[in-house]
Amino acid sequence: MKDCRRLARVHVTTALRERVTFFWYLVFPLFLLVILTLIFSNIGSVGDLTLPIGLVNQETPSATADFATIIEDVFLSLSQAGTASQTTLFDLRSPDPTHDASAPSESQLNAVRNGDITALLLIPEGFNQDVLKAVTTDSGPATLTVYLSGGRSSSELAESVIEQVIAGLDEQILTTLGRFDPLSTFAVEHRTIAAADDEPFQYVDFLLPGILLMGFFTTGLFGVPGTILFGRDRGILRRYWVTPLTVPRYLAGFSMGHGALCLLQFVCLWLVGRFALGATVVIFRPLPLLFLVLGAVTFLAFGFFVASVARTANAGMAIANILNMPMMFLGGLFFPIGDLPLALRAVMYVNPMTYLADGLRGTLGIDVAMFPLPVALAVPAAWTLVCIVVAGSRLRWGVER
Amino acid sequence: MGGGTMRSLHALVRAEMATFVRDRASLLLTFLFPVLFILIFGSLMGDMGSTDDIAIGVVATRGDAGDSLRTAISASGTLRFNEYETVEQLLQGIETGSLDFGVVWEDGLLVFYYDPRRIQENVPFQEVARGIASRLRLAAQGLEPVVVLRTIPVGGQPEVPWIHVAVPGILAFSILSAGLSAIAGHVTSMKQRKLLDRLIVTPMRPTLFLLAVVIVRLLVTFASTLITLLLAVVVFGLRFDVNWLQYCVLVVSATVGMMGLGTAISLLVRQASSAGHISTILSITMMFISGIYFPIEIMPRFLRVISYATPLRHMAEAMRYATGVMEMSPARFWIISAALFALGALLLPLLARYVVRSGR
Repeated sequence: MKDCRRLARVHVTTALRERVTFFWYLVFPLFLLVILTLIFSNIGSVGDLTLPIGLVNQETPSATADFATIIEDVFLSLSQAGTASQTTLFDLRSPDPTHDASAPSESQLNAVRNGDITALLLIPEGFNQDVLKAVTTDSGPATLTVYLSGGRSSSELAESVIEQVIAGLDEQILTTLGRFDPLSTFAVEHRTIAAADDEPFQYVDFLLPGILLMGFFTTGLFGVPGTILFGRDRGILRRYWVTPLTVPRYLAGFSMGHGALCLLQFVCLWLVGRFALGATVVIFRPLPLLFLVLGAVTFLAFGFFVASVARTANAGMAIANILNMPMMFLGGLFFPIGDLPLALRAVMYVNPMTYLADGLRGTLGIDVAMFPLPVALAVPAAWTLVCIVVAGSRLRWGVER
Repeated sequence: MGGGTMRSLHALVRAEMATFVRDRASLLLTFLFPVLFILIFGSLMGDMGSTDDIAIGVVATRGDAGDSLRTAISASGTLRFNEYETVEQLLQGIETGSLDFGVVWEDGLLVFYYDPRRIQENVPFQEVARGIASRLRLAAQGLEPVVVLRTIPVGGQPEVPWIHVAVPGILAFSILSAGLSAIAGHVTSMKQRKLLDRLIVTPMRPTLFLLAVVIVRLLVTFASTLITLLLAVVVFGLRFDVNWLQYCVLVVSATVGMMGLGTAISLLVRQASSAGHISTILSITMMFISGIYFPIEIMPRFLRVISYATPLRHMAEAMRYATGVMEMSPARFWIISAALFALGALLLPLLARYVVRSGR
């Protein structure tokens, strides 16, 4: 036992001293957790974004029923901050006063094309009359034209924001004409399915379990074959075997060290997730912890499996690299996996990561499990068994290599 | 160049190419990863952002109010809607992914339900939901919209799926990785393993060696980006109006520029592994914040500001322009290309002076 503990300590200190392993074991998962949380922290809302747009009003101002001016005023008000520190929704670019306003100028359209403005809104001549006709007859709605640049996400966002503003304007115009009663309307709410239980969804709560599993996965996939195969190729293992150390005791010490590294990863990620990023997910419960332990064990066995099928350390790293991305992304670690082509669906179903991520999130209550609990536990356990059997029969420790 | 120099260069290019082909990690990074990115993300999120064929679940009472809701949904585009008897059934449909989102109309309250895990897709879903709510508010008082919006695309490819915009970004990222790894991985590794010291004691000029590295990386980058582009066309049926002159100029300038950036990293560190880590961190950070996978507009302001400073963002936009996905002023394209080339042209000679020499 003492030998095992000593070996475990050596494994951990060596891993942490090596910049490569330190980077992939600790720095990279932490970095990914932070950057993805930051990116998605204000998704779904325009937030502090200001969209530069152009507005061309071709309608002649009139003393009565000047709907074009109402629209212009609304967009103008949305581009003026109430206070110096306030962010405006739009940055309204005025048209060139020397230009003939009967059509958008080429320079205005170029500004849209080139992304200098996200959209150009055109209020056409005769717009006031069209609105009045739309209200009093069945002639159909009046049309505003918006020019957008294809392939630009900022243009798409501007379009949807303008659509929302126009929907509000519809009600404002109809209210002005005494046709719409804003007081006798209904409330609208947007909820996420988790919010039905009064628990607001935070992306970091969804992400943190995925990053924990990813950390265990990369530690097992790269760390285990890396240590064993490089140790074998460089003759380090040979030196062990001339001592009284046996392979089972080496394996026990190595596994203990691997477990300690996973624990260190878990602590660091949980601390950052909980205290720096505000994660509220409660991990310290029996079933989630069981899934995390199962994950660490499965990926340790998976690492032995890769080490057993690779002839050299470089080949082992190449196999690990090939397996890494499909297993991570087709296991639902970062995004839910929905409709997939048959081939990718097959990968998803044989991937132990799918069951671990599903079971972990399901038991944490942040997602509805796709698979029953026994299946979510049995598939990774079966993978572990298969990997151990294959590695046990193929992995060579002897000096002849 | 004299005949002897050309022969030396030829030999160096052959040796560099052989080294690259034997290096499995570089091969994977350059050829396999972009292909995997396209296949996996294309299948997972290919049509993300499109509001066509959205499946919406509805729980609504029979009668006028429920009928108004059904009419408002029908008028909101190509939506498929399924009716449910209870809210629980609807929520289950959302949870299992058979529904994109749901709406419940009860007691004067209209509630839209979304799956929080579909974090990016929920943005277009919410837009559709707001459209439905607006129509319903008017319909509830017997009114129709009096103003509608007509959109006219004036450049680029309008209403393309996510993957169409992502592919040029992935090409730009491949160039970045290949350029950075050429110097911050390959050359610094040669330095660390004392291979450069051995080469330098030969009559070989350091600039000739670097030229060979540049030539090989350019050939490899062209091959890698063309394979990725071809795959996107064949597998996902995407159409790119490639301006080949701009494409070639961008690949050359961006590769040279990123090798320049790799040089800057190599000058800052001594260990090959450190250079590799810095370049990995840099490239992954840039990948996330340069608008390749996630729109820049959804990010917090400080990340958007950082994004402007990253070369990958400008490379991705220039690549979208060169492949006909997005418009940009030609002047801006040429400025980006020139700036990238200048970055490489300025920094690569420093590599010859300070890195490819003995004793550092």
